[in-house]
Amino acid sequence: MSTERNPMKDRVAIAGAASTGFQARNTGRSQASYVAQACKAVLDQCGLTPRDIDGLCGSLPAAPAVQSMLGIPEVTWFANPMIPFGNHLAAAASAVYSGLCEVVLAYHGAYRMAWNTGSALKDPFRRGVAFGHGGISPPESVAGSVGYAAWASRYIYEFDVPRKHLGYLAVNDRTNAMANPGAAMRDPLVMEDYLSARMIRSPLCLYDMDPAVDGADAFIITTAERAADLPMPPVLVNAVVLGMTDRNEEDQAPGLRHHGQHVTVEALKAKSDFWIDDIDVFLVYDGFSIIALNWLENVGYCGPGEAGSFIEDNWVANSGGTGRIMIKGRVPVNTHGGSLSEGGTQGSGHLREAVHQLQGLAGDRQVAGAERALVTIGGFFFNAEGITLRRG
Amino acid sequence: MNKDLTGADVSDEELWSLFPGLVDRDSADHYGGRLRRQLLINRCAECGTWHAPPKPVCPSCLSEQVAGVPVSGAGTIFMAVFLYQGPAAEGVDYSTPYPVVTVELDEQPGLRYSGTVVGSPNEEIQIGRRVELDWTVRGNVPLPVFRLAGPTAGASAEDSA
Repeated sequence: MSTERNPMKDRVAIAGAASTGFQARNTGRSQASYVAQACKAVLDQCGLTPRDIDGLCGSLPAAPAVQSMLGIPEVTWFANPMIPFGNHLAAAASAVYSGLCEVVLAYHGAYRMAWNTGSALKDPFRRGVAFGHGGISPPESVAGSVGYAAWASRYIYEFDVPRKHLGYLAVNDRTNAMANPGAAMRDPLVMEDYLSARMIRSPLCLYDMDPAVDGADAFIITTAERAADLPMPPVLVNAVVLGMTDRNEEDQAPGLRHHGQHVTVEALKAKSDFWIDDIDVFLVYDGFSIIALNWLENVGYCGPGEAGSFIEDNWVANSGGTGRIMIKGRVPVNTHGGSLSEGGTQGSGHLREAVHQLQGLAGDRQVAGAERALVTIGGFFFNAEGITLRRG
Repeated sequence: MNKDLTGADVSDEELWSLFPGLVDRDSADHYGGRLRRQLLINRCAECGTWHAPPKPVCPSCLSEQVAGVPVSGAGTIFMAVFLYQGPAAEGVDYSTPYPVVTVELDEQPGLRYSGTVVGSPNEEIQIGRRVELDWTVRGNVPLPVFRLAGPTAGASAEDSA
């Protein structure tokens, strides 16, 4: 079903991205306050005011509440997509391209809630906030987070790989996060730490899972023409794909060789002007380490089960045991620290980092001259999303 | 018609009170079956294809003639995790990691059901092992569980002693 059809190619731009930074604790602030902070920052960065916004896109708080909070006088389009954040970019870009609106403020509040950490419930004000898999789930279910531990068990079984192969991602992300002031986890992490960490859902341990965090990202998405008149270098959306298969329940997916990632990759390759040989930075979703290993394989760097070996072949070790992936000595992966170390942003952090890299705003972790990025967001089932971005 | 197939005789209110937040209109057959210690999986009366979790139509032929039909519960472990923490539940002590497996049921390739495994140490609960269905009780409500069965690919039962 993959098609090259992509009339929106390079016609929509991300004009700016801003973040509050993230903390892995109940901070005593509301989700709305983080969203407001990130939205104000991106408006300021782009030289815009609430009056310039005519589209609004985010999950929580819902768009009407954010519109009221920020005093955005009128919008002609809004949406409240489900996570992860590729959904938001796809919706906003489509709305801009089709003319439903011209300037979208898209936001994501990554917030500690019952669905991502039981510790959120220590804050009484978080008890009433439901989201996603917030329902009652008995232990005998692999729905939600447990699903990735289950598929990790299958991955290890089918390909007979050591846990160390998953650990590389955790070490890579932590090494990169040490250069990201907004990351929640910045203490050095080495393979010995990974291998001795406490198990949470075997075969996955503490460092295979992203920490739930408080914080927010916000973006301005508009036409390529309008973005060219704004202060920051435009980042053009070359292609977006939200891939999915049937049988997408966590325990019914046919197997590691056919799930949403495969659909996304085939379609994104067909729609994009460039692929992995031409990118300067790869932002790969890693809410669970196993997801990132699958993405590395499925985008074409290596075959099924070979991600760990591929990383070993493309590893730059530092003294002290930290280290990072540099694909072919050139392309870093998750320069912001990924979800595993920046914090669980459901993909908004990966997209924000790609934008900053292509705008030259990535500070100490800037990839010199970065012009093209591949962003893969989400897991296997109902959330495997891909985005190609290029500097305008 | 569904009522004849499942023999369900509890009210929607009772089902909801026994499976709060889990049961809905399309899974009522399945949960009703549990009360009678029957593992019901949806099957299409027209094309014979099984599917899970329960949907109001057959994903293979879009027939609405689907209903919960008992399966043997025999199958092969497809995935296996061990929870060191998790939701509070009667009889679940995470001090010993709690096994949760996805079992590929014998009735149809790719048809799977997830549950715990009882009666074996965790080291023996491995992908590829054969299992059979058994039942335990949680809060006076029957709970389907799996039990290792048959010959093993690796260690034998004697080895585990």
